[in-house]
Amino acid sequence: MVAVLKSLDSPTQAEFHEVIAARADRWYAACLRITRNPDLAEDAVQDALLSAWNKRHQFERSARLDTWIHRIAVNAALMLIRKAKPATWEPLESDVPDDTPTPDVVHAVDALNTDLAEALNQLTDIERVCFVLKHLEQWRLKEIAQELDTTVGTIKQALFRAVRKLRVSMADLRSE
Amino acid sequence: MINNDTLTLYYYNDGLTDDERNHVESALRSDTNLAARYGALSRQLSGWNDPETPAAPPHLLARWHDSIDRAAQSENNAPEIEKTGPFQFFSFAWGGALAATLALGVALGMFFSGNDVIPIPDGIPVEVTQSTAVPASFTRGLQVHLRESQWELASLPAEASTDNAQLLMQIIEQNRMFERAAKQNNSPNVARLLRAFEPILMRLANEDIAPEDAEALRAQLAFELNVMLTKLARDPSKEAHTT
Repeated sequence: MVAVLKSLDSPTQAEFHEVIAARADRWYAACLRITRNPDLAEDAVQDALLSAWNKRHQFERSARLDTWIHRIAVNAALMLIRKAKPATWEPLESDVPDDTPTPDVVHAVDALNTDLAEALNQLTDIERVCFVLKHLEQWRLKEIAQELDTTVGTIKQALFRAVRKLRVSMADLRSE
Repeated sequence: MINNDTLTLYYYNDGLTDDERNHVESALRSDTNLAARYGALSRQLSGWNDPETPAAPPHLLARWHDSIDRAAQSENNAPEIEKTGPFQFFSFAWGGALAATLALGVALGMFFSGNDVIPIPDGIPVEVTQSTAVPASFTRGLQVHLRESQWELASLPAEASTDNAQLLMQIIEQNRMFERAAKQNNSPNVARLLRAFEPILMRLANEDIAPEDAEALRAQLAFELNVMLTKLARDPSKEAHTT
C-alpha cells in the first residue's frame, strides 16, 4: 500500500520535461565544469535523467526534483571522468601539506565570474573537481572524499592547491 | 601561526575540529594581521560565484526530453499488454519491450529504408544512401559491437546485480561511441537507432528490475540486435548519388 501511494506521488513525465526545460542548462554546466568535455557532460546529464526516471519512486517530495537530478548528474559526471582518466584519480599518497605563505592578493571582486571559468581551466583534474564540488556545489569534504574514493586529507590538499592557484591566476587575469 | 589553508577551511566551515575552529576564532579576534589576511581571503572566495551558465545546445535538450519520452513510453503500454492473455506472465516487461520495439522499429525502418538528405554548402540537397554514408570500417566495427553486445546480454545472469549494471554501462558507453561516430559520418539515422537502445539498456542496468522484466527486455534487445546484424550483413555497399 505504501509502495502504491509512493509510486502515485512520483514525479510525472510532465514534471521531468518541466525541469529539463528550466534547469538542464545548469546540470550541463555543472557537468561541463567537472569533465571539461562536452561529450561526457552530455552523457552525464543523459545518465542522470534516465537514472532519475527509473528511480523516481525513491524521490522524496520534500526535496526539489531539479536539485535531486542535479546531484545525480554531478555523480554521473564524476563517474564518467574517473572512467575516462583513471590514473588521475589514483590515491595521492605523496600529497604533503604546503605551508608556503601565499601572496594575499586583494582586489575587487567585480567581473570575477568570467575570470573564474578561465582560471578553472588551469587546475589539474582533481584540483578542479575538488574546488567545484566544495565551492560551487557546496559538498562536504567527507562527501567528496567518499565519492572520489579517497581520504579527506587528500581532498583538503587538492582544495588548498586549487585555492592557491586560483588566487594567483585571478590576480594575473585581473592585471592583464 | 595560522596559515591560509586553515583559514580556507574556516571559511568553508568544514574540515576543522571544534577546538581548531575555536582556536582560529580567538586568534582572529586578537591578531589584526591575521584578521586582515582572512578578510582578503574571504572576500576573494565569496567573489568566486558560479560562473555564467552556458546554454546547453538545443539538440541536447531535445535528446534529453526524448529520452524521458522513450523511457515513459516503454512503461505506459504495460496495462494494455497485461490484458492480452498469452503475454500476461511477462506483465510490465512485455509492455516495455513492445514499446521499445516500436521505438526501435521506427528507427530501424528509417535506417534501412530511408535516406539522409544532407544539405551542402551551395544549398543543393544531396541524398546519400545510408550504406554509403557509413564507411565500411565503421560498419564492420558496428557489427562487432552489436555481436558482442548480443553475446554479453545473453550471458548476463538473470538476477540484477552491480556486475550486471557495470557491464550494461559498458555496453551503453560503446553504444555512445558508435552513435558519435555515426553522427560524424553524417549518418543521423544510425545514431538515432543506436540511441533508441539506450533507455532499454538503462532500464536493464537498474538494479531494482525484476528478473522476469529483465528477461523480457533482454529477449527483445537480442531480437532487435539480430535484426540489425542481419540487415547490415545483407546490405551491400552502394554508390552515393545526388538528386
